[in-house]
Amino acid sequence: MTLLALEGVDVFYGDLQATFGVDLHVEEGEAVALIGANGAGKSTLLRAMIGLTPARRGTVTFDGENITRQRCDLVARRGVAIVPEGRRLFASLTVEENLLMGAARARPGPWTLDSVFDLFPAMRDFRHHNAAELSGGQQQMVAVGRALLTNPRLLLCDELSLGLAPKVVGEIYSCFAGIREKGVSIILVEQDIARARSASNRLYCLLKGRVTLEGASDAVSLDDISHAYFGDRRQ
Amino acid sequence: MSYVEAILNGLMVGGLYGLFGLGLALAFGIMRIVNIAHGEFVVLAAYLGVTLLAVTPLPLPVVVVVVAAAAFALGWALQATMLNRLLGPNPVPAMVVTMGLSIVLRNVLVELYGADIQSIDIGPLQNMGIGFAGLSIGLLPILIFIISVILFIGVNLLLTRTTIGRAFRAAADDHEILETLGFNRRRIYNAALGLAVALSAVAGLLLAMRSSFTPFSGVERLLIAFEVVIIGGLGSLRGCFLGGLFLGVVQVLGLKLYPNAGPLFGHLAFFIVLLVRQSNLGLFLAWGRK
Repeated sequence: MTLLALEGVDVFYGDLQATFGVDLHVEEGEAVALIGANGAGKSTLLRAMIGLTPARRGTVTFDGENITRQRCDLVARRGVAIVPEGRRLFASLTVEENLLMGAARARPGPWTLDSVFDLFPAMRDFRHHNAAELSGGQQQMVAVGRALLTNPRLLLCDELSLGLAPKVVGEIYSCFAGIREKGVSIILVEQDIARARSASNRLYCLLKGRVTLEGASDAVSLDDISHAYFGDRRQ
Repeated sequence: MSYVEAILNGLMVGGLYGLFGLGLALAFGIMRIVNIAHGEFVVLAAYLGVTLLAVTPLPLPVVVVVVAAAAFALGWALQATMLNRLLGPNPVPAMVVTMGLSIVLRNVLVELYGADIQSIDIGPLQNMGIGFAGLSIGLLPILIFIISVILFIGVNLLLTRTTIGRAFRAAADDHEILETLGFNRRRIYNAALGLAVALSAVAGLLLAMRSSFTPFSGVERLLIAFEVVIIGGLGSLRGCFLGGLFLGVVQVLGLKLYPNAGPLFGHLAFFIVLLVRQSNLGLFLAWGRK
């Protein structure tokens, strides 16, 4: 069953058009990767999905309901959560307080403070630290945990690996299995193409605001991806 | 009145100054709104108190609670009907609106109550005092000081222990992310301005019990609030409280030295704090100690 569907989505920042007629869908329980160069419109699409920058044209449908122009907090309470680019923790709150903010308006579901601590056991050690004092990897764990605590049906992950050491990125991604086990669908924006392919069922490649490739992650060739990514025509 | 008494009295009025600053700092910290009408709300609360005491049989503590509740509702309504329409990176529209509101409020007060000096008569409590170690301190200032300390502690607990309080701090950090967690940002803002105005209203009512006021006193109160916030530092409860105490002590001591000085010494102290902050004097002193 289709959980999220975008049809002909045009998103604008002021007069600047960032995406052009994007069609995209995510099935229940699926993990979908969005890849593309900087400025291709990946983060913009995530913002349109959760209602932070609503699409000007086209429709966004979540679980059969049109949410194109719904307020962000209402979309969130329907079950969409985001791990934003750059983590964006509440800097003046402690780790635990950050997590509590995620839980405060949560839907009923499997994620609790304890189950999130079980997902990232290291987080118990710095739960009373200020969010601003953490390393990038620790911050990313908190950002994922905070989003999960809303008990989402769809989790949007924006560049989890940004600025992190490869080993730390591996640790963060290893939690995906545990998240998908609980029936959460995932949309993953990622610059690291190998990582994106291995962590997803299907992928979309964006180029300058348009979808240039769509396919099963293990079926598309690196050659196809490279052409879709850079936009050069095959001879 | 000895100097020790002057300092104690300064501390006690300083607690109220701290509350003025706290109301302003909450609105600025959470919504980035500089509420120019802050002083007028403080004075409005005093007038509301006077009226309630005159026309209803309610006892004083009940009047304080009623005024606080009315101020909360007023702050909520102001945010919901006007200021929420002006959210955005530019703080000027909200400043202009609250400035206009301050002019309207001031003139409505003159129209209703006239421009005469008013004060709140609280009966025998006004003249009761406590004597110890050769000092005599009024009972009323002590009570007022205790109330302001309790309010500061209460706000601290609210900000750290409750969901709405944590949401206030989170909204100050990153309001977009707060929305993605399912919080209605506007409603958080309504509650925040309600709290800010309620705190200042209580402080304004308490100050009216120990000094007089006119419809034009708002500007003076606003100035105190600005000075407290700038001395104490934005976004710090303790800073607001200490900034208020500092300003209160300087002002009362100054009045003792020169009874005609009015608020001059408070403003001078503020000016000096600004100068010291701007110059590298602090750095120079630290270097000298090495």
